[in-house]
Amino acid sequence: MNFEQVLNVSKILLEYLPNTLKLFFFTLLFSIPLGAVVTWLKRCRFKPVSWLTNFYILIMRGTPLMLQIVAAYYAIPMIVKGAKDSAAASGSQAGGFIEFLDNCMHSENYMFVTLVVAFALNYAAYFAEIFRGGLESIPVGQYEAASMLGMTKAQTFFRIILPQVVKRVIPATSNEVIVLVKDTSLATIIAYAEIMLKAKQMMNTYSSIVPLFIAGLFYFVMNAIVTVAFVLIEKHYNYYR
Amino acid sequence: MSILEVKGLSKSFGDVKVLKDISFNVEQGQVVSIIGPSGSGKSTLLRCVNQLERADGGEITVDGMKMLTTREGKAVYANKKALREIRLKIGLVFQNFNLFPHKSVMQNIIEAPVHVLKKNKQEAIEEANELLKKMGLTGKEKAYPCELSGGQQQRVSIARALALKPELLFFDEPTSALDPELTGEILKVIQELAKEKMTMVIVTHEMEFARDVSNHVIFMDGGYIVEEGDPSSLFGNTRNERTKQFLKRYKGMS
Ligand SMILES: Nc1ncnc2c1ncn2[C@@H]1O[C@H](COP(=O)(O)OP(=O)(O)OP(=O)(O)O)[C@@H](O)[C@H]1O
Ligand SMILES: [Mg+2]
Repeated sequence: MNFEQVLNVSKILLEYLPNTLKLFFFTLLFSIPLGAVVTWLKRCRFKPVSWLTNFYILIMRGTPLMLQIVAAYYAIPMIVKGAKDSAAASGSQAGGFIEFLDNCMHSENYMFVTLVVAFALNYAAYFAEIFRGGLESIPVGQYEAASMLGMTKAQTFFRIILPQVVKRVIPATSNEVIVLVKDTSLATIIAYAEIMLKAKQMMNTYSSIVPLFIAGLFYFVMNAIVTVAFVLIEKHYNYYR
Repeated sequence: MSILEVKGLSKSFGDVKVLKDISFNVEQGQVVSIIGPSGSGKSTLLRCVNQLERADGGEITVDGMKMLTTREGKAVYANKKALREIRLKIGLVFQNFNLFPHKSVMQNIIEAPVHVLKKNKQEAIEEANELLKKMGLTGKEKAYPCELSGGQQQRVSIARALALKPELLFFDEPTSALDPELTGEILKVIQELAKEKMTMVIVTHEMEFARDVSNHVIFMDGGYIVEEGDPSSLFGNTRNERTKQFLKRYKGMS
């Protein structure tokens, strides 16, 4: 490949960078709060809820994300169609919501929505385990000191425990975010137009593996930025040990 | 009226009876030391009185308020509101300080006055500065616990407990996480508080400490109070065989 071609490939990949970033940011946006909720559910005293949450985490972490993406992409429309058919057959009135879902199926964003759902559900399971580890690493003495000072449960959690958990989960979270940058490439399996998909296409067009290298460079730079961001966050929390 | 009355207190962990029929009183202005071998139930006793552990039976009365009573063999605690009120009458200083590591010295001390007692922040800061002065920690208000020595951390935790103006202050081995040479500074602080007629109950393994600071000593063994009395008689010429043995063993070690 000559220089001009390299430049051209880079330009095209740059055009698809926003799609990769969109998936990345939306996944983070949903998976981190969802992860916190999953942590909370897992620690629920009502055992069935805790068991169900464990089962969810087991499935999410025990099966490939790529499989989950494919399953979400093909299974959700099938389920919606099945629900629609049975609703039509029984002539029930519950069709409003199913109709809404059905419309979503045919919208342009459908692919992106299923991707975000699959990614967020998967990453939430990992984040939940990280958060749980952080939460359980806080010494019981912190709770006892807060209780001796007359603090309520909510005050203890939000003012004493949570800030310390945040500091402790940063390193593990940073690992997970770096993996996520690379995992966005799994979206090519359902032909989502992101960097990896385009790189593969141009590899064929040019009969060269250079586009792959350029794509690799894109991921590398993104992760360099993520790494620096987390170093800064860690520094911010360095004022105490 | 005694500030603290404990009657027939019992507590088990599973099948293990840790406290068996514990009764004692603490009077206003008294400094009580609790001594005894490891595992005799000293910490458990403190934790039951401080509501960190639920007792199985007996009675606890704090400043005239019934915290725990026993009806038909069942422990009955006061309602939530009363328990909270009682909790604020009692301060506890932990063996390993349990300061909040993400908060500065000042923030540690004013946390409860501001957010629990809903005091004006400026007022809380002024009172905290007074306490820091008393603890010999002036100038440390911006420091974080990790930047302080063990002795300083323990003094911050004493200031934090005092900021709520408790009627009664408990210490669970306040010096055992410290280097021996730092024991003196905590002793000094406690003696200072004793002079101001602060009522204190101190669990300790240091007999000199107990003798120097307290005007009443309780000796516990195997979940019972074996003997109690003033320090000179208990340390000087106890008649009790178990106390004798314990003190002898202790002397042999030091
Ligand atoms: N949370 C708990 N669960 C089970 N057993 C416990 C618990 N806390 C204390 N114990 C047991 O209760 C007994 C008394 O413990 P406690 O901590 O009150 O003794 P102590 O007199 O404070 O000892 P030390 O001088 O070593 O601090 C011990 O046998 C201990 O193993
Ligand atoms: Mg103890």
